[in-house]
Amino acid sequence: MFRTFLSWRYLLVRRTNLIGIVGIMVAVGALILILSIMTGFLELSRVAARASSADVTITPFFADGEQQQPQPLPLEPSPLLEVLRKDARVVAASAHLTWFGSLIGDTSISSQIFSQGTDAVVRLVGIDVADEFAATHLEEFLSSTPLRGQKVADPKNPFALPPGMEGGRPRPVIVVGDSLMRTHGLARGDVIKVGTVVFNSKQELESADFECIVGGSFRSRENELDLQRVYVDRTQLARFLAGLRSQEDELPADARTYSEILVKLADYDRDGARICSDLKQRLVSMSVLHPFSNIETWEQQKRVILGAIENERALMAIMLSLVLLVAGFTIFAILSMMVSEKRRDIGILTALGATPRGVMQVFLMIGFWDALIGATLGCLIGTWLALKIDPIERWLSSTFDFQIFNREVYLFDYIPSQVEPLRVATIVLGAFVCALVFAMVPAYRAAKLDPVDALRNE
Amino acid sequence: MSEQAQAVAPPVALLSAVGIKKSFAVGDRQLEILHGVDMQLYAGELLALMGPSGAGKSTLLHILGLLDRPTSGQVFLEGQRAFELPAERRAWLRNQRLGFVFQFYHLIAELTALENVVLPAMIHQGRGAYRRDRRAHEHKAEELLVRFGLKDRLTHRPTTLSGGERQRVAMARALFHDPPIVIADEPVGNLDSATGEKVLELLFEEQARRKLSLLLVTHDERLAARCQRQIYMDAGQIS
Repeated sequence: MFRTFLSWRYLLVRRTNLIGIVGIMVAVGALILILSIMTGFLELSRVAARASSADVTITPFFADGEQQQPQPLPLEPSPLLEVLRKDARVVAASAHLTWFGSLIGDTSISSQIFSQGTDAVVRLVGIDVADEFAATHLEEFLSSTPLRGQKVADPKNPFALPPGMEGGRPRPVIVVGDSLMRTHGLARGDVIKVGTVVFNSKQELESADFECIVGGSFRSRENELDLQRVYVDRTQLARFLAGLRSQEDELPADARTYSEILVKLADYDRDGARICSDLKQRLVSMSVLHPFSNIETWEQQKRVILGAIENERALMAIMLSLVLLVAGFTIFAILSMMVSEKRRDIGILTALGATPRGVMQVFLMIGFWDALIGATLGCLIGTWLALKIDPIERWLSSTFDFQIFNREVYLFDYIPSQVEPLRVATIVLGAFVCALVFAMVPAYRAAKLDPVDALRNE
Repeated sequence: MSEQAQAVAPPVALLSAVGIKKSFAVGDRQLEILHGVDMQLYAGELLALMGPSGAGKSTLLHILGLLDRPTSGQVFLEGQRAFELPAERRAWLRNQRLGFVFQFYHLIAELTALENVVLPAMIHQGRGAYRRDRRAHEHKAEELLVRFGLKDRLTHRPTTLSGGERQRVAMARALFHDPPIVIADEPVGNLDSATGEKVLELLFEEQARRKLSLLLVTHDERLAARCQRQIYMDAGQIS
């Protein structure tokens, strides 16, 4: 009984113990708060990475010469799409034609881009709007409030001419990423030139450009994508890449009209792991896909970024655990000091019948109370702060007229924070173990004190 | 002789020391403090242990109180070879069979007078048993403190008590478990003579009332003369 009673009394009367409690509280609170924000950020990045990808992406291999199969594979996506859409596991599929270009030219906006010396290399992505809406999150991207750009006039029909531009020379409409629009000072209705290189009829590379109208922006929340991607109608891009400059010219039979197929699954968690190999086998056997083609899930495609996200979180946890070690050292220092101060009490307790183990437990229990109170308070405060960090930051920013979190830098319009109960429990448990381990050394020293020496200590 | 028979000391002595030697290492050599001390404390006896400073009285007292282990020799407590018992059993004997009164009171500063007195019960019992008996313990401690004139000091911490009051709290603590033996190391050595006299009166009263065996260490010959028997110690030997 005396262990609990005396340790609690020492804790209440000796104010220095508060330092240990506060140390553990700050360490636990900071760990919970920062890891929750990190988790929020990383999960949002993960969601953004997920949202900007289809469940499965098929990248076809177009062979020539000896690599041709017995019969040439179709260069047009319809046969492949048809097979995919018949698969019960597939909800939708959409063809992409992807090519690289840069914003250039002699229009005032393009000149401005050049004069800024900024990187205007873009990824041109040709899409079929209806298919893309069904297979990806584009419709959502077009409807989400832009941070920097301007929404398209009609999100249901993104390649429609912006209001007031009707009746002019027919030019393709492009939809650019939110960050790209802001970085290069673009606005809805701007006319810009996109330059690239294409293969001519002799299969030689030559430069080419086309004039287009900016229809508006989309926002995927993935910065790289929002900074580089330009959506354009797939047929128009295919015609341009085939070197056709007149609307009347027909697309040649050998023109490539797609470079990847995006597939949306009915149940990714159920089918995601197995579908890639199944689909490949099936599509190759049906002669709509070359065996060298690649089929990957979104997680396989983004494995580098997802791995980096996990690494970052683990590194942050390791670094923040050092705070816990500092708190542990504080407990060690306080208890060591207390054992020195309480030498006489240790002698008295021994004289009254306490065993060395009982004496050790008194000091261990002080470490336990430090950990219990500190970790509980830290857990409550850290969790509350993590749940309320966004309104707290807004209040602090507005009260002190100082922006703490720049929402434009991170592309999020709020501070994301995700409290994970298992992680919180791990932190609290870690604080306990840390505090008890650090309390063990002075507690053991107390148990080893000679009671006679301790009683002479007057 | 059987082991059990060996472990039994002369029946009349509650506490006895046989051939106690104690030495300490000082640098490379051993410094012997006690050179084969023999002594007995009989049941109900009031025994004074006298001697000059450095004679080894405190060392002997610590050994008799089972706080320090002799280099050689035996301590018999109620017939048991105390230093052949496990440490837990010796701790139990200190708690139940011995009471200590120190010159410097040795109260725990963070506890009230009442809590200091019930501390031996807290050490003896587990949480459940102590909670069950708590009222009884507190009642007993309160009775002791009231008898010692500390009715208004029950909830006072030692720092707010006078020297005489602190020593009375320490006496109440020593008597709490009704031990048959009390060891008092210069119990009034730190008090003025008037206060010391009052404290001694209380101690002698309790000794007589409870028929305690009281081993009293003192330099004061007048005080020693009030004891039934006196032994003198000099240079680590009973003379």
